[in-house]
Amino acid sequence: MHEFTLPIGPQHPALAEPIHFRLKVDGETVVGAEMHLGYNHRGIEKALEGRQWFKGVFLSGRVCGICSQSHTACYSQGIEKIAGVAIPERGKYSRTIFAELERIHSHMLLLAVAGHTIGFDTAFHYIWRDREYALEIMELLSGKRVQHDFNTIGGVRWDISEDHIQKISRNLDKIEQRAKHYHKIFTKDRTMRKRLKGIGKLSARDAEEFGVLGPIARASGLKSDLRTSGYSAYGHIDFKPVVGQDGDCMERFLVRLKELRSSVKIIRDCLANLPAGDYKAKLPLVLNVEKGKEGTSRIEAPRGELIYYIKANGLTPERVKIRTPTFANFSCVGKILEGTQVADAPVTIASLDPCIACCDRMTIVDVNTGKEQTLDHHELDHLFGREHEHD
Amino acid sequence: MIEEIFFLLVFPGLIAAVFFGLLYEGLARKISARMQSRVGPPVWQPFLDFVKLMSKENITPRNGVGFLMTLCPVVAFASVLSAIVFIPVADFSPAIFSGNMLMVIYLLVIYTLCFAVAGWASGSPLGSVGSIRELTLLLSYEFPFIASLLTVGFMTGFTVSPFLAWHFPLAFLAFLASVMASLSLPPFHVAEAEQEIVGGPLAEYSGPRLGMFSLAHAVKFWVLISLGAVMFLGGGTIEWFLVKSLFLVIVVAAAKTVFARLRIDQSFRLFWLVIGPLAVIDLIRAIFGIWV
Repeated sequence: MHEFTLPIGPQHPALAEPIHFRLKVDGETVVGAEMHLGYNHRGIEKALEGRQWFKGVFLSGRVCGICSQSHTACYSQGIEKIAGVAIPERGKYSRTIFAELERIHSHMLLLAVAGHTIGFDTAFHYIWRDREYALEIMELLSGKRVQHDFNTIGGVRWDISEDHIQKISRNLDKIEQRAKHYHKIFTKDRTMRKRLKGIGKLSARDAEEFGVLGPIARASGLKSDLRTSGYSAYGHIDFKPVVGQDGDCMERFLVRLKELRSSVKIIRDCLANLPAGDYKAKLPLVLNVEKGKEGTSRIEAPRGELIYYIKANGLTPERVKIRTPTFANFSCVGKILEGTQVADAPVTIASLDPCIACCDRMTIVDVNTGKEQTLDHHELDHLFGREHEHD
Repeated sequence: MIEEIFFLLVFPGLIAAVFFGLLYEGLARKISARMQSRVGPPVWQPFLDFVKLMSKENITPRNGVGFLMTLCPVVAFASVLSAIVFIPVADFSPAIFSGNMLMVIYLLVIYTLCFAVAGWASGSPLGSVGSIRELTLLLSYEFPFIASLLTVGFMTGFTVSPFLAWHFPLAFLAFLASVMASLSLPPFHVAEAEQEIVGGPLAEYSGPRLGMFSLAHAVKFWVLISLGAVMFLGGGTIEWFLVKSLFLVIVVAAAKTVFARLRIDQSFRLFWLVIGPLAVIDLIRAIFGIWV
């Protein structure tokens, strides 16, 4: 059979976000895969440079709709580091609780999408419904279901009260119970096993060489979990990272299912040991960080390690560089897609839990010379302004 | 003469087939929605969809073949509609003769062929992959489908006539599985897999052409449900017929809710290695008259 190219995206039912894959297909087998990014460039790094520190935290949450708390936590943590702000213990615990809630809701979202991509819509609807338990808690704590803006420089914006704790533990029980149920479905259901077992394998060695992060690395047997370094309150909590071994799609989902339960346990521990006192440090409304100070901040987001590099320029940052985990994880996409069936491509891509809006960067390639060039703000204005006139 | 025209145009012909086809599709959607703990569309949603599609415009892709793209849904609709003539729906039937079962089988295959040709005619790689999958699926489910019908056929003289096949459970099972595949419902919806190939052959279809295909699909649903209700559940008068066909709709809706999609190679293997042999066991029992 002759080879042809099958486009997936930038608009595609299996992808909620714009990304473009070109699968070279021989019959039903994928023999090569290419990936194109850059449909959703928003210029957040640049926009952060013009914002005062406190305002910037809100913007950083908008990098990603799913892991908004990780971004705010990471950015705040970076600013605290270079400004030398100490967070009260209660603030640290609250941040940890919220981070784990976000991990629960993000993982459940992915597991639902996994069901959808293998045509198992029932799993999708059930898991999506049960994700509400996590969202309810987050709404209780922050007043918002998504885009919580829970973190701020020096701690968190709202306190966790006794009433909250009761409601939270009730919902945590439900989440734990459902997570056990889904673990059974993923491991026992025949059609699910047939579609996930042995698909999109990534060996530990490859995982290390591609530099993948988070649950994907852990599913391949790497102990890559930044939480063990003990930032926020993780140092005080008894916690062991979930590590798998098979490195296939099934294992990636199972690692996430097990993490649901480990997250529930972490939240319970945090709530039981929640220290009394302030939940945020007292800071001036306009923060001034000495010009030229710089630092990096790292956090284990639901998808892996998130890095912020921040350089201060007095009232605003001079430069912020964000390295999202999906950007690192995408390096292995060609490897795990090669040799799979077309039918397995969507679930293989989904098993990476791609968050595409997070990793769009703008690079212009000159078609004639093949030269790559990254444009700055003024050049972009110029380029699009001119194009507009031609229209 | 008046009676024949009534048979063809009203019941069980055109109007009844279209009405019950769309209604049963709506019911199946509603039932499966409730099982998935969501509200789901209203039962009459397929009617609204059809009217909407018929009022929109046809779009032919640059390298699509417009003539074939129009012809395929029409022929598909015509073939499944003709099939209803041979099925004694609620003991009405204009065309009962020995061997009319084979006519039904032929006419149902024409639908599948039209569906595949439609995919190629639309000139899209997604459509081509879908067409290949549709034909591969046809090769896999056609054997158990025919074998299960023949099992009952040996009892009825290869006529589509009411028969209660309670002693052929394996044939009934094979029939249900083939119906799921034939209607491209989960777990056998590889040909339309929206997450992979965006609806397969229908990826480039829009407007009245898509409307005709959805109508053909609805009528095919009605034909297959009627076929099951008559040949395996014993048909009967209009009330009994409705009860039996509704039972089949519920079974189909439940089956479509509880499975993930199998890959095309997995479906092929399942039909030839598991469901096919099961159907053959009952076929042999029917030929040699071995049952309790």
